[in-house]
Amino acid sequence: MTPAKAPPIIELRNFRYTYLEGTPRASEAIRGVSFEIHRGERVAMIGPTQSGKSTVVDSFAHLLRLKEGQVFYEGEDVAAPGYDRKALRREVGIVFQQPDSQLIEDVVGADVAFGPTAAGLSAGETRRRVEESLNSLGLPYPEFRLRYVHALSGGQRRRVAIAGVIAMHTRVLVLDEPTAGLDPRGRRELLGLLKRLADDRDLTLVVCSASLGDASLLCDRFIVLDEGRVVMDGPVRDILRQDRLVDLDITLPEPVTGARELRKVFPDLPTELLTEEELEAELLKRLDPA
Amino acid sequence: MLELQRNVIFGQFVDTGSFIHRMDPRTKLWITFVLILASFLIGTFLGFALILLLLVLVQAASHIPLGYLLRGSQFFLGFLLFILIFQVLFYSGEVSESSYLWRWGILSVSTEGLYTAAILGLRVVFLYYVTTMLMLTTSLVNLTNGLELILGPLQRLRVPVNELVLVFVIAIKFVPIFIEEIERLARAQTTRGVPFDEGGAVTRARRIGRLLVPIFISGFARADLLTTAMNTRSYRGGRYRTKLRQMHATPGDWLALGLVIVWVLVAWRLPAVLSGGGIV
Repeated sequence: MTPAKAPPIIELRNFRYTYLEGTPRASEAIRGVSFEIHRGERVAMIGPTQSGKSTVVDSFAHLLRLKEGQVFYEGEDVAAPGYDRKALRREVGIVFQQPDSQLIEDVVGADVAFGPTAAGLSAGETRRRVEESLNSLGLPYPEFRLRYVHALSGGQRRRVAIAGVIAMHTRVLVLDEPTAGLDPRGRRELLGLLKRLADDRDLTLVVCSASLGDASLLCDRFIVLDEGRVVMDGPVRDILRQDRLVDLDITLPEPVTGARELRKVFPDLPTELLTEEELEAELLKRLDPA
Repeated sequence: MLELQRNVIFGQFVDTGSFIHRMDPRTKLWITFVLILASFLIGTFLGFALILLLLVLVQAASHIPLGYLLRGSQFFLGFLLFILIFQVLFYSGEVSESSYLWRWGILSVSTEGLYTAAILGLRVVFLYYVTTMLMLTTSLVNLTNGLELILGPLQRLRVPVNELVLVFVIAIKFVPIFIEEIERLARAQTTRGVPFDEGGAVTRARRIGRLLVPIFISGFARADLLTTAMNTRSYRGGRYRTKLRQMHATPGDWLALGLVIVWVLVAWRLPAVLSGGGIV
C-alpha cells in the first residue's frame, strides 16, 4: 500500500546513559534500550521508580548529553553535529512531573504565551494559541488568563504547564507522571482532557507512569522498563496477561488485581481487563453459563 | 545537556573510603585550620612549592580522581584568572621605573605586579583546594559534629556554637542543592523554547539570569521546609543532643596533624633561612 515505509517518529537504538559519566558520582541509568515509536501511537512508559523512564523520555528532546547513533527523530540522529535541537524541541514537548519547575511567568496567559513568543510567532497568532490551549485543557481563557500561577491549585498548575507545551503545537507530547498527586476526580478529568487532546490533534503521546491503571486508559501500547532495560513491550492487553508484571514494583489496575485474586476460584479468568465492567462481564459468563 | 554538577564540585562529598575519609573530623578541621594559617604566612615561591608537595600527597591519599577535581574547579579557576589580570593591570604598589614591562595610561604590567598577583593567586588556589578537599572527604554529619566539639568550649562564654555551626554547614551544603535546582530549571526552560546549550557566552549568561528569581523562591521554600522538618522532630541544638558515635582520635590522626604542622613550618621558614635570615 504505502510505497516507502516512513521512518518511526522516535527510535532508540541500544541507548545507554550514565549520569555524571567519568566522575566518582556516576550512576548508570539506562543499560541498552531499543524501541520504535510510530506517528500517532500512544505509548506508556511503565516502571518502578529508578527504572529509567524519565531518562528515556528526556532523550527524546535531547535534554541529556547524548552520544551519536542512539536516539533518532524521524530517522535523523539528534546527537549528530549540526542537528537543529531548537527545532526538535518544538516538535517534542515534554511536561515534567513537577509543573512548578516548568512555569516561567507569574501570570497564566503570559506563561502559556512564553513558548510561542520564543518561537517568534506574531502577537495575534500567540494570543490565538494561548486561548485555544487553555480552553482545550478546561481552563476558560477569559477567566484564567490574568490569574496568578502561584495562586492556582496543584491540578490547575499542571494543566497550565501542559497548555504551555501544547501551545507550541508539538507533534509529540510527553507527559511524566501526569496524574501524580491528583485526587480521583482531578485524575479522571485530566485523563479525559488528554485523550480528547490527543484525538483532536493527532498527537503522538508518550506517558510515563508507575501506575498501570491511568496509563491503560490513555495508551494502547506499554513499554515496561526495569533497572534501565526494557522488560516487556507490546499492546496493553498482551502485557496485562503477563505474570511477570506482579514481580515489578508497579501499581496494577484494580480490575487486573481483582481478576488475579479471583483466579483462585476461576482458574481460566483472563487478567487483561481494563475496566470493572469487563471484569463483571467475564464473571457473569462463568457464574451463569446458561 | 547542562550537567553543571560536573563543573562545580564545591560542597560535594565523595566517599572513596580512603585514609583521609576515615580520619577524625576534628583532626581534619585542625589540619585545615593550620593550612589556612599557612596560606597567610607563606609568601615565597619556594614555600608554595613545598606546600604543593604536601598537597600532592593529600591528593594521592584521598583517592579522589584529579581530573574530577580539576574539571569541577574550572569555573572557579577561570574567575580567579580574570580577577588576577585586573590585579596586575591596576597594581598600585611601589614600582621602580626599570621594572615596567608595559605601560598605557593607568594600566601597566610590572615585575612587582606580576609577582604579587602570582603569590595572591597561589594563596587563593591553596585555600580553595584545602577547603574543597575537606568537604570532599568529610560528610555533613561529621563536619557538624567535629566543628561543634572543637568550638564547644566557647559555649561557656554564651556563644551559640551549635546554632552557628548548623547555619554554616547548611549554607555550604545548600550549594550543591542549588546547582541541582539550576539544572532542573534550565532543563525545564529548554523544553519551553529557551535553550541553554546554544549561543555564545553572553547569551548563555543572560539566560542564567532568568533563573535567579525561581532559584530564590525555591531556596526560601526549601529553607522553610527544613525548619518545619526540624521543628516537627523537636530539634534542639547543643547540650540537648547526644551522639550515637563518640569520636576517637587515633595515633594516625596525631601523626598526620604533626606532619602537616612540621611541613608548614618548614615551608614558611626555610626560604628565609636559605636567604640568610634566622630561624624565626
